[in-house]
Amino acid sequence: MFACIHIPDFSVQASLLPEPAERRATLSRSPIAILDGPANLPRVFATNPAARRDGIQIGMTKLQAEICAGIELRKRSLAEEESAQAALLDCAATFSPRMESTAPGAAILDLAGTEKLFSRNHARSENVWQRATQIITAKTAATGLHVRIAIAANPDAAFLAARGFLDNTIIPAGDEARRLAPLPVKTLPLAPTMLETLAGWGIRTFQSLAALPTVAVVERLGQEGLYIQKLARGALVRPLLTCEPNGDFTASFEFDDPVETLESIFFILSRLLQNLCSRLLATAQATSELRLTVGLNVRQFAALCGREERERQRARRESAAAILSEPSGESKDLFEHVWKLPFPTQDKNLLFSLIRLHLEQTTFSAPVRSLCLEMIPVKPRVAQGDLFTPPSPEAEQLEITLERIRGVVGAAGSDSATGSDSAACVGSPRLLDTHKPGSFTVQNFSSVQDVQRQCHPERSRTTHAVRRSAESKDPYPFLNLEGVHVSTASLTALRLFRPALETAVELDGAKPHFVRLWNRHRRVLAASGPWSASGNWWNADAWTREEWDVVLQTPAGPGFYRIYRDRLRSQWFVEGVFD
Amino acid sequence: MALKGIDKALLKVYFRRTNSESTMQAAQLKAQIEQAIPAAFTFYPRVEHGSIPTGIAQIDNAVRGIPLNAMTEICGHSPRSSERPRLPFESGSMASSGKTSVLISLLAQATRTRFCALVDATDNFDPASGQAAGIVLPRLLWVRCGKNRGPQHARFWRDGVENSGKLPPLEQSFKVTDILLQSGGFGLIAVDISGIPERVVRRVPLSSWFRFSRVIERQPAALVFLSQEPHATSCAGLVLRASAAAPARTNLLNGNLLAPWGLNIEVVRGRDKKPVRSERAGFSRKTQWA
Repeated sequence: MFACIHIPDFSVQASLLPEPAERRATLSRSPIAILDGPANLPRVFATNPAARRDGIQIGMTKLQAEICAGIELRKRSLAEEESAQAALLDCAATFSPRMESTAPGAAILDLAGTEKLFSRNHARSENVWQRATQIITAKTAATGLHVRIAIAANPDAAFLAARGFLDNTIIPAGDEARRLAPLPVKTLPLAPTMLETLAGWGIRTFQSLAALPTVAVVERLGQEGLYIQKLARGALVRPLLTCEPNGDFTASFEFDDPVETLESIFFILSRLLQNLCSRLLATAQATSELRLTVGLNVRQFAALCGREERERQRARRESAAAILSEPSGESKDLFEHVWKLPFPTQDKNLLFSLIRLHLEQTTFSAPVRSLCLEMIPVKPRVAQGDLFTPPSPEAEQLEITLERIRGVVGAAGSDSATGSDSAACVGSPRLLDTHKPGSFTVQNFSSVQDVQRQCHPERSRTTHAVRRSAESKDPYPFLNLEGVHVSTASLTALRLFRPALETAVELDGAKPHFVRLWNRHRRVLAASGPWSASGNWWNADAWTREEWDVVLQTPAGPGFYRIYRDRLRSQWFVEGVFD
Repeated sequence: MALKGIDKALLKVYFRRTNSESTMQAAQLKAQIEQAIPAAFTFYPRVEHGSIPTGIAQIDNAVRGIPLNAMTEICGHSPRSSERPRLPFESGSMASSGKTSVLISLLAQATRTRFCALVDATDNFDPASGQAAGIVLPRLLWVRCGKNRGPQHARFWRDGVENSGKLPPLEQSFKVTDILLQSGGFGLIAVDISGIPERVVRRVPLSSWFRFSRVIERQPAALVFLSQEPHATSCAGLVLRASAAAPARTNLLNGNLLAPWGLNIEVVRGRDKKPVRSERAGFSRKTQWA
C-alpha cells in the first residue's frame, strides 16, 4: 500500500509556516492570497479557502484582489516553499525510508512492512490504515502543516485521491476505479489544451474518461491519452522514485522591504531557528556549526544616498571592518558569520542567544534584505558525567559567556608583532611548533573537550630552555624521568610587551652597556648572551635575532629584561621583563 | 524589652562569676540563661573554606594558600608596558618584583584540578612561560583586554578618558570579571591590572571592590587581582606584596647565564586577625633556562 501526504494550498501554508502557531491559526482563518509574476503586474498565484469564499480567484491582478476587504496579500517565496517541502519529507521519513517527492506539497510513502508501526493489538488491516492516517496527520500537524492523506494500492491512485478528495481517503486494493470515479478530470496532471479537448468531448469526471474505449482514445490522443485513462481507472502501476531525506538544514527569509532594526531581524531569526531545531529534533540530530548569512541592500542604499553620504558610509564600513576583523570575510552585499560549537546542540535558546549577542556588537553597512541560516547536522552529544573531571563551567552557559566577553573585548585581531596570525582575544593559548619566540595561537576555550595535562614539552616552549640548558647538566630541568612536570620551585615569568618596544642600546665591545628604557638610559649590570636564533629563511617570513638577558640598574632595584636585536632591520627591541 | 534587659544583666553576672566563684554556681547561672535564651552559648565555628596552594612552599606556609570564597591581591611594582608620557604622579617602576611569577605558579597549581580564567588587562601574559611553569593551557581561559591599541588608545592614556569606541582596558577587565563571576564554574579568576597606571586604578570606586568581594563569597572560587598597589582595602581577604631581593653584583651571572634571584613576599593582610607586624617570606625562583 502507498500513502500520499498532500498539503492543500501549498504556497499559502508554506508562507504561514515560519509564523508562530497562534498567529498561524489566526491567519489561516482570514483570506490570504499569494502573488507571483513580474514586479509591475503580480497576479494571484494561490489562495486559501477563506479567500476563495470571498471571491478571490487565481489569475486576478493585485488591484483586483485588493478589493476584497481584509485580505492579506503575500509575495510567493520559493525558499519558504522549499523549507515546507523539506519539512514534509522529514516528517514522511519518520514513517518509511521509501518515499517519493512527487510534486510541490506532495509526498508518497511506501507503507509495505509498516503495519506493525501503526497497528494496535493486531487490529484488522482497514483499522491499521485508518490509524496510520491519524498518526501521520497528527505528526504533520505538529510541524505546522495541515495535510490530506490518501492510502491506495498504487502510488498514483493515492496521489489523485489525496488531491481530489477533501478528506482522508483509504482505497482498498481493486476498488480504485470505483472510488476515483467521481473526481473531476482537472485533478489529473493535464496540459490546458488536453483539458479543453476533454471538455469539448463532454468528459468531466474520471468515470467518463475511464469508460471511453481505449483504442479510440489512443487513436485520438496518443500515448498521453492512454496514460491519463489508466490514471483515471487507477490502474497505473509504477515503481516509486525514492529520494533521501533532506539533509540540508537551511532556512532563509527575504524581507519585502529592507529592514534596519535588530528587533525585526531577531524576530525572523527566532522563527527560522525554531523551524530548524524542530527538524533537528524530528530527525534525532543536533548541530555543532551554525552559519548566518545576511543579505545587505548595498546597491539600493548607495543609490539613495548622495555622494558624500556614500563616502561616509564607505569610510564607516572600512573602519567597522577594521574593528570587527571578521574572520569569515565580509563581501560587498553579504555578511557571514559562523559559530562552531564544541558540542552538538538542539537548544534553540542557546543558538539564538549566540546570534543575538554577536549581532548586537555588529554594524551593518546597509539595511538587511534577507537572512539565511544553515546548520550542519551531526549526531547528538551523549552526556555522560565523569567523576574524575574537574568542576567546569556548563558547556552551554560557557558559550554564551564567551560570546558576551567577545562583545566587550572584541572578537579577534591579528598580532603582527608576535607573528601569530589572527590571534583571538578570548580563548586558550596554544604554543605553535616553531622555534620563533612568542609564536602561539588562541584556540576556542571549551570545558567539554578537556585534555589531560601534557607531559611532553613542546619544541617552542623549549626554545630557550633547551638551548640554554645545554650549558647546564639537565637537558630538561622541569621534567623528571617519567616525563611528568615537577614544579618544586617557582619559575621566573616573562611579561611580554606587545608590541615589543623599540630601543637603543649602547655597546661595550659586543655586550650591551647602556639600554634606553622609556627615554632614560639605564646601565647594564649584567648581560647574558648573545643567544642567536633564526628561521623561515626559505620564505618571505624570514627572521633572525640576537637575544640578551640583561639586568638593568633602576632606582627601585635591579630590573631583569630581555632585549634582542633584529638583524634584518638592525634594530634593538625590549621584548619583555622577568617579573 | 524588659526580658532583654534581664538577660543582659544575667550574662554580665555569669561572665563575672565564672572567674571568681565556683563552677557549680556558674553552671546554674548558665542553665538559667539558656532557659531564657536557648542559643546564648551556642558556638558557631567559623566556616573554613578551602584554598589553592601557590606551589611556593614559603607562601603556602605563611598564608595556607590562596583562599577560596575571597578576594586576593598580589601587589608589586610593574614596569610600564607601552611607550607613554611619564607623569609626575605616576608610580611606575622599572624594577622586577616577582608578582607575575607568583601568579603563574598559582595558575599552574590551580589548572591541575580546576578550570581557570586569566583576565589580562594589558596583554602581557607569555604562554611559553606559563607552559614552562606547568600551567595546563587548555584549562586556562585567557582574555586579552588591552589588545586593541592604536592612536586613540594612546590618547586614552594621556587624557585619562575614553576616546575610542572600545572601552578602556581597565573597564574591559572589570566587565569581563563581572561576566565570569556571574557565569561561575571557574575555580580561579585572575585579573592582571598591574600594567595599568596607578592613577587610573586608584579611581576605581570602593563599591566595585566591595561588589567583587560579596560575589566571590558565595562561590567556590578564588578571585586574584595582580596590581601595583593594594586597592581593595578590607574587601580583600589576603594581600601579598612581592618585591625582588637585591642581589649582589657579583652574583648576577652564573657562568654565561643569569643567576636565579630572590623574592620577598610580605603578607600585608591575612585571613586571620591582622598581625602587629607583617609577615615576610623570602625564597628564590628558578630561571627558565637553568
